[in-house]
Amino acid sequence: MSQPILASLAATVFALGAQAAFAQDKAGAAVPHAGTENFHAQCIGCHGIPGYKTAYPQVYHVPKIAGQQPDYIVSALKAYKSGDRSHPSMRGIAASLDEEQMKKLADYYGRPAK
Amino acid sequence: MIRLLAVMLGALVAMSTQAGGNAAKGKQKAAQVCVACHGADGNEPSARDQPLLAGQYYDYLVQALGDYKNGRRTNPIMKGFAAQLSKQDIEDVAAWFSSQANTSLHDQR
Repeated sequence: MSQPILASLAATVFALGAQAAFAQDKAGAAVPHAGTENFHAQCIGCHGIPGYKTAYPQVYHVPKIAGQQPDYIVSALKAYKSGDRSHPSMRGIAASLDEEQMKKLADYYGRPAK
Repeated sequence: MIRLLAVMLGALVAMSTQAGGNAAKGKQKAAQVCVACHGADGNEPSARDQPLLAGQYYDYLVQALGDYKNGRRTNPIMKGFAAQLSKQDIEDVAAWFSSQANTSLHDQR
């Protein structure tokens, strides 16, 4: 087997293991956003750091998303995926999400709609 | 060398006082242009897929409105509203919305 295939297999096994490990919280209760845990690191790496700024192509604070309306977060992610919004990092991340995952992430970071 | 340092320091000061908008003027403009969908203070979206603006970062709001205006960000509704705003208007409404403390928006969940 070639090196890249082995590497991707290893990554898959690791991802599955991580998923299983995170699908329950410490008390053993199911986490409502199960299946999206692997994406949280990608989100909080920028959006979880108060005052964090983009580096490229323009420099500005990355928006606050905690407490944002979940449906808006979904529509923003879809717009990145479709190309209606163009930030390179967000396009890459959104492209890897399906709608179900977008909704789960949005529910996690956003708030219940009034 | 000292001159270079002075220039860099000046740039830094300019960056830290970047909120070029006038929040009072922004409040007036928002009451004309933004209020119907986002609420007067950016905290009352009229639909579930519209964003809360209250307490959002000033420079992100400036960026978003500029992107709508120049077409880098595609949204038919926002394109029409952003087109009505001058660069100064954009900075003013961004200063208004970003200064609203009554918000559920925050950096960390």
